[in-house]
Amino acid sequence: MATSKKVITRDEWEKKLNAVKLRKEDMNTLVMNFLVTEGFVEAADKFQRESGTKPEIDLATITDRMAVKKAVQNGNVEDAIEKVNDLNPEILDTNPELFFHLQQQRLIELIRQGKTEEALEFAQEELAPRGEENQAFLQELEKTVALLVFEDASNCPVKDLLDISHRLKTASEVNAAILTSQSHEKDPKLPSLLKMLIWAQNQLDEKAVYPHINDLSTGQLKTPSE
Amino acid sequence: MTESSSNGRRNENDETSAAVNRRDPILQFLDKIRPSGDAMEDDNEGEESPTELNAINSAGGFVIVSPDKLSVKYTNANLHGYDVGVAQANKPAPFKCLTYYFEILVKDAGAKGKVAIGFTKEGFIMRRQPGWEVNSCGYHGDDGNIYLGKGTGEAFGPTYTTGDTVGGGINYASQEFFFTKNGALVGKIPKDIKGHLFPTVAVHSQNEEVSVNFGKQKFVFDVKGYETSARNKQQMAIEKIFIPPNIGYGLVKSYLLHYGYEETLNAFNLATKTTVPPILIAQENAIDEDDLHQRKTLRKLVRNGDIDAALANLQDWYPQIVQDDKSVVCFLLHCQRFIEFVRVGKLAEGVKYGRLELAKFVGLTEFQDIIEDCFALLVYPKPVESPVGYFLEDSQRELVADAVNAAILSNKKDACHLHSHLEMLLRQLTVCCLERRSMNGDQGETFRLHHVLKQYKKMKLD
Repeated sequence: MATSKKVITRDEWEKKLNAVKLRKEDMNTLVMNFLVTEGFVEAADKFQRESGTKPEIDLATITDRMAVKKAVQNGNVEDAIEKVNDLNPEILDTNPELFFHLQQQRLIELIRQGKTEEALEFAQEELAPRGEENQAFLQELEKTVALLVFEDASNCPVKDLLDISHRLKTASEVNAAILTSQSHEKDPKLPSLLKMLIWAQNQLDEKAVYPHINDLSTGQLKTPSE
Repeated sequence: MTESSSNGRRNENDETSAAVNRRDPILQFLDKIRPSGDAMEDDNEGEESPTELNAINSAGGFVIVSPDKLSVKYTNANLHGYDVGVAQANKPAPFKCLTYYFEILVKDAGAKGKVAIGFTKEGFIMRRQPGWEVNSCGYHGDDGNIYLGKGTGEAFGPTYTTGDTVGGGINYASQEFFFTKNGALVGKIPKDIKGHLFPTVAVHSQNEEVSVNFGKQKFVFDVKGYETSARNKQQMAIEKIFIPPNIGYGLVKSYLLHYGYEETLNAFNLATKTTVPPILIAQENAIDEDDLHQRKTLRKLVRNGDIDAALANLQDWYPQIVQDDKSVVCFLLHCQRFIEFVRVGKLAEGVKYGRLELAKFVGLTEFQDIIEDCFALLVYPKPVESPVGYFLEDSQRELVADAVNAAILSNKKDACHLHSHLEMLLRQLTVCCLERRSMNGDQGETFRLHHVLKQYKKMKLD
């Protein structure tokens, strides 16, 4: 069946691999991009010193960004909103959905803390007006307020909102918005390149038989079983 | 680069060092130093594009190519199928790119409106409509059909006539031709023709007149947008692919470990342990950490230009590496020592050092040109701005540090650790893309990490 496919032996393939010209600076840049985007400010700083690689944005902005992210992760949404506005007021002004999600998270935190009255007041004053403007927001709001119906939230059909993963989701949303506001991609390039490797191998599979890398974590070449 | 190195005097009788005979794995670092490496990087740039119609090759009696060589007119009355007025572009469509595209404007559809746009090979019979003959393709105005190497066409798109702008393009990634009319995509068809293709126009009834735009004027069709959506389509397919979560963390970690970036590694390890939620990194470290600190120290010394200390430490910690004083690592370190003398303006000391430590490499094929380039630093009052100024760049120190690191790693008993995991993956990715491209007749864009990293910056500028 595979007779029409070009067969490339391991020797030939390794020769090709060795002939690739890869610049060390480019690999360093890729690693720096990962550290910066994922918010490892200490590591990025050390890496700049140890490798001479310049980060693509001011490292101080990473600290600010991570402080916002951490505040959301810890449930201090009010604090996070303040920090975002200190960083750049346009982020929330131009991003009503993000702002709504942050306010929604704040409501969730109030409910979590059992501050029912405060939660209701906040929902009516801050969130309801937004719900009137936007049908999707209104539905989200109704869903969130439904948390109050159940004495024991673990029985509630929308209990996922109280899960830690919802905080993380909101945190990563605000993280992405800050990166975008800094003209930076919201995801690091490395995972995309790894996906591209799988894709490129799949594409080449249609035309050739050659040694693969199946395990991304080790980079081991596997000769296709004869 | 000095002249002597660019004409690379190498012949088989040259003495070759023991390092070469043993296939020293560090040998590759010599190639990285040579500046010629970068010229290849940009080999897909500088490809020539068509600029005008080929007036000489066009079918003389039936067609007039205007003085600006950008329009054709059919003046006679057509009589049969072998008196078509055809004109090819002066150059074939470039192919080391994602797409090629050009447009024509039908100024006058003449008596019968037998205008055609398409692509033909160099030896095309210039009296036939593009698409009628094998290895050609054409979108014809009178019937809107596509012709693919035979006299009968297939239904394809609308007809076109006076006042219409029609475009022809090649998508090299999907290996398809595509055509447009008045800024809208008409359709696409698989491209089965290999090799160079010339943008081609044809007129075939009295007073038919067509002008061609090879990109000097803004295209009516948004070809940039077309390219972007083609790229996005591919990117979306790629993004859908599943990879194990957090795999990037493990690769970054092993990269830092591989190159001995110890402080970064420590900071990274600390941070990944304290994030919410903590990041679980699969431990796949092929390299043990026991000599990480030594490698880090040596890297730091080289990066600071303290080559004497680096050599002394190597002698203490890894005598086997510096045992052969004609090894690549020794050569690179001695060169760097010389370069450091030049950097601080101590030329006389540099010369003295060079005579003492580098003279023994003169005459060895693989070192000769680098020594000459190094010594060329002495010629210039401002070496940094000279053609060999790259020796004084930060990346040169990094490279020597990498070579020392690689020498230590390859000296270990277990398997060859010449490349980090990350590098092996990037090499595999590059070769897969290159192979796939070579099976498409080397058409389309090449994958280059360098370009991928630049992409976002470019997007911002646009």
